[in-house]
Amino acid sequence: MIEKVLIANRGEIALRVIRTCKALGIKTVAVYSDEDYNSMHVKQATEAYHIGEAAPAKSYLNQEKILEVMLKSGTDAVHPGYGFLSENDEFVSLCDKNKITFIGPTAESMDLCGDKMKCKSAMLKADVPTVPGSPGLVKDADDAEKIANEIGYPVMLKSVYGGGGRGIRIVTNDKELRDGFESVTGESIAAVGKSAILVEKYLEKTRHIEYQFARDTHGNTVHIFERECSIQRRNQKLIEQTPSPIVDEETRARVGESVCRAADAVGYTNLGTAEFLRADNGEFYFIEINARLQVEHPITEFVSGLDLVKLQLDIANGEAIPFKQSDLKMNGYAIECRINAEDTFLDFAPSTGPVPDVTIPAGPSVRCDTYLYPGCTVSPFYDSLMAKLVTWGQTFEESRTRMLAALNDFYIQGVETSIPLYKTILNSDEYKNGDLSTDFLKRYDMIDRLTEDLKKEKEDKSEAVLAAAIIHSEYFKSRAQNSTTNNTNWKYKLD
Amino acid sequence: MDYKIQDIEKSFEGKIIENLGNNDYVIKINDSEHKLKIITMNSNGIEFILDQKYHKAKYLEQSTSEMNIVIDNVPIIINRNTHFDKVVYKNSGGASSGNSQLALKSQIPGKVVSISVSEGDSVKKGDVVCTLESMKMQVAIKSHKDGVVKTIKVKETATVAKGDVVAEIE
Repeated sequence: MIEKVLIANRGEIALRVIRTCKALGIKTVAVYSDEDYNSMHVKQATEAYHIGEAAPAKSYLNQEKILEVMLKSGTDAVHPGYGFLSENDEFVSLCDKNKITFIGPTAESMDLCGDKMKCKSAMLKADVPTVPGSPGLVKDADDAEKIANEIGYPVMLKSVYGGGGRGIRIVTNDKELRDGFESVTGESIAAVGKSAILVEKYLEKTRHIEYQFARDTHGNTVHIFERECSIQRRNQKLIEQTPSPIVDEETRARVGESVCRAADAVGYTNLGTAEFLRADNGEFYFIEINARLQVEHPITEFVSGLDLVKLQLDIANGEAIPFKQSDLKMNGYAIECRINAEDTFLDFAPSTGPVPDVTIPAGPSVRCDTYLYPGCTVSPFYDSLMAKLVTWGQTFEESRTRMLAALNDFYIQGVETSIPLYKTILNSDEYKNGDLSTDFLKRYDMIDRLTEDLKKEKEDKSEAVLAAAIIHSEYFKSRAQNSTTNNTNWKYKLD
Repeated sequence: MDYKIQDIEKSFEGKIIENLGNNDYVIKINDSEHKLKIITMNSNGIEFILDQKYHKAKYLEQSTSEMNIVIDNVPIIINRNTHFDKVVYKNSGGASSGNSQLALKSQIPGKVVSISVSEGDSVKKGDVVCTLESMKMQVAIKSHKDGVVKTIKVKETATVAKGDVVAEIE
């Protein structure tokens, strides 16, 4: 039985895992870099160990150092979260060698999922359709160009070691392909120290629909419904929801069966996600298996009633999944907004720095997973996800309006956030009608609409803000006239 | 005093016209009068009821002419008591001095991973001057105009803050 878990991660996901461990009476071990000594996960864990410098390569990716902490602290299992070491099969092998349970798939299965080409051929054998593309890694930019011309532009350049939207470029001609090849290589080397690139046909007006699945060590496989994650920027998800507005009962069951076949085909254990592109003609094409707990898992928790981290721990303990496919019933509708520290108007450029004040939304069926607290800092060393705001409703409309109310309540001082953009999106008719696609933001000019909405919001607040400004101005005037009373804690001293 | 809200064209005149005591005031914005009750206030912010509605404001950075206020979670910049035409001109970049037109500034914080030009090179608007890495993304800093690179103000692996000058382009 797992009694002490090291969480090889930081931020909101480290906190998410700690929360379930606490509820189950399992001890937790946090690790932290120079940048994170004052972070929430350090404060919430049973124990916390410093593992190195701020740069991920010198801390959260440092396998030897993390192993040293696991051995020293008497850890019997490790939860990798997402990102960092979560899909690194070498790390899984290292844990195996040291008799530490890795909460996730085996090294062999992870290697197979991570090798997009081997995975693709396993899927074809299991009768799971995939997207046209290069038969293997491309040798260089020349090779990529040749394949791109065979399958036709637009094509996607994908780093095998990417994930989470990094290391991906969509290119529409030979020149863009050559520029893109260089930057994907650079990003991949910066993130994981190596690079290998695939070329794939880019399908237009696609939806990104993925399935949560679970497979135990006894070979039982279930899918826990789909999530639609079509609203993206730079191929990175912004808003997710379940159920998908275009997946009906029949489709859910049919594609769900292929998901279970896919999990069986790669000998998967623990929780994973099978990602699909859904073309405009209704076809589902398998893209990849994410061999980890996903960022957006809370929406599945809302509609299934499950604690997915608990399910991960149960499976890692060798237990059988305690329910059958037919026991799972989808209840209601859930939406997640990823609250990122970024400036929408600067092409989503990162926005970092101290956060002096935060108000976190709450209420019935409102969940916020976040590392923010008043006085924390958003670091430039790690990714921009500050919080995940999730709402549930008995109807889609209820979850949507609940999300809008929660977004209005969410206040983060000091950094730019994606909150205003989400309000514009959730208020749009296209979103309300479920007209989603991965190019949603561009297709419906959401950034321009955001500009309009912000202007309107300022107009609505103009009287109130002027009142605040008038009081402030009068205060300074009265202070200047009365400069001998040098009280900074003045109160209502207006004449 | 006169006020101007950024991004809203019209300007406003506002003042306190009466102190009713017990933290109640009457203020006037343009031609309309409003009742205002202060609930609590200090130099960082104010909570008040304007007519029948509660509001909470934070006073962030202040200068004599510009106030940065977050009202009910909405950040708004207000200019006060100045010659608005000048303010508008400055904000649109029209009155910027020769120096600030030279300067190519980084809009984001990050680490310099590569520099694509040398001093003396000719560049066109949109050419990549250097590449920054921030939050695991690579972001190109592009020239804001056609010209010649006069000086490069950063080195590879150096860290730059938002607003730092990356290069001067003549």
